[in-house]
Amino acid sequence: MSYTSPVAIAAVSEMKPGRFPDMDGYDLYIEVIRQFLAEWSLKPTDIQGLLACPSGMAGGGSNDIFVHEQLYEEMGIQPLFADTMNAGGSTYGLMVQRAALAIQQGKVESVLCVGAGKFPKVSTGGAESMARMVSHEIYEFPYGTFIPALYAQVATRHMHEYGTTVEQLAEVCVSTREWALLNPDASTYGSEALTVEKVRQSRPIASPFNLYDCSIPLEGGAAFLVCSEAYAKRLNKQPAYVLGMGEFHNHRNIHQAASLTDIGCSKSAQQAYTMAGLSPSDIDFAEIYDAFSINPLVFMEELGLCPQGKGGEFFQSGAARPGGDFPVNTFGGLLSFGHTGDASGMSMIVEGIRQIMGIAGERQLDKANAGIVHSYGGMMSEHSTLILGRSAS
Amino acid sequence: MNDIATEEVAPPAKPQPRITACAAPYWQYAKEEKLVLPYCSECEASFYYPRLWCPSCFNQDIIWKQLSGKGKVYSFSVIYQSPLPSYQADLPYVLAIIELEEGPRMMANVLHCDVDKVCVDMAVKVLFEARGDMKIPQFQPA
Ligand SMILES: [Zn+2]
Repeated sequence: MSYTSPVAIAAVSEMKPGRFPDMDGYDLYIEVIRQFLAEWSLKPTDIQGLLACPSGMAGGGSNDIFVHEQLYEEMGIQPLFADTMNAGGSTYGLMVQRAALAIQQGKVESVLCVGAGKFPKVSTGGAESMARMVSHEIYEFPYGTFIPALYAQVATRHMHEYGTTVEQLAEVCVSTREWALLNPDASTYGSEALTVEKVRQSRPIASPFNLYDCSIPLEGGAAFLVCSEAYAKRLNKQPAYVLGMGEFHNHRNIHQAASLTDIGCSKSAQQAYTMAGLSPSDIDFAEIYDAFSINPLVFMEELGLCPQGKGGEFFQSGAARPGGDFPVNTFGGLLSFGHTGDASGMSMIVEGIRQIMGIAGERQLDKANAGIVHSYGGMMSEHSTLILGRSAS
Repeated sequence: MNDIATEEVAPPAKPQPRITACAAPYWQYAKEEKLVLPYCSECEASFYYPRLWCPSCFNQDIIWKQLSGKGKVYSFSVIYQSPLPSYQADLPYVLAIIELEEGPRMMANVLHCDVDKVCVDMAVKVLFEARGDMKIPQFQPA
């Protein structure tokens, strides 16, 4: 695939994650769009295309598979490009990719990508409905599946193949918490720092994971505007250019993955590096979907950012922390920022955009010329890699 | 009405798999306590789970072949907290991916084993657990 005319993200906004018992998925969507437009002084007529994701999947029962229709009607626009799409956590990375293609084709000059997520309480049947959603109804679920225990298969195998330790997993949590303490929007902002001991002493959930190895279930949403270069420059002096993108769809059910330590991310990453004409050594920071502590550790390897099998040592070295050589999940990760259900795949993209734009506040990196954003859907099933940068080439 | 408090309450039944047409032989053999999987004669390989064609070569000429029932733990997790009412009495229990001697991998519980003794590469063998009028394959130390 050739990539000729530059595409850039010109505006971005995210709700502070929380619990919103009085709001359903639609209400959250409208609030996200209201905040987005207000923050950037934009009007609905600035939006030519619209991509949304069902918000009620994790909430159960909502028939919002037509959410894009409801949103453009409420905004009072008639887009030339619109859809409701879903690829789990990779939805929003793939939205960037779909929007970029539509813009390069000349269909539209701007596409609003938007997500909102409810997260059912684990205690009120939510965990069971989510276990049903991500495990095979016939060949997995009857064995008592539970989301942490499915991800744990990847962690246990990594520990077996490479000698990764539970303490190294805990280092991922410690590192992301340090970043969250610099992000006023993170749900753990103002709390205390984590230590390896605290993670290991938290209550066991599904080995090797304890409570702090798991992300924090919350609700929220975010939006960003993907634009042609000319359109982006009208809105923002420093947009985030989309330099590279890649996707790969590997398996659905975790027991069907051919390998648990080469799970498909390397293939989407390779496409993104090739398109960007960059190599891992050109990348300044990474924002990685981290439902559990194992994820960034495995993906650092598959993204080519540390040697295969050395993800644990990488996090143990402190390189990913504030002030470290290679910052990872500078917003605090889903582990400490919060996991906003169906919208969770937004948060790492939002942060990548903000770091490139230079608007990340106290946690702004000195060096943020190029960053990589990896998100996945399902049980690390389908993958989206984006490379964002400050200049078009 | 005091007797309600002392009455034995049966735990909720564990999930019973839905039988699809292409997997009917698999479940019928399981009822007879045999682990029988679809086999592709083009690839000369068994595959899991049952489906209409071989996932490697699309061959639809599938035969059913009994496996040894031996395998090893490919990966696993000890579950200490489960949302499933029917699994509460089993806590802590083991959710594993088993690699069968003949190659395919499948998900199962590892039963009849101290959860602290389970490890990757541990040798296991199949056994069958009743679920309603069906039986499902499970594994235990070999
Ligand atoms: Zn075949």
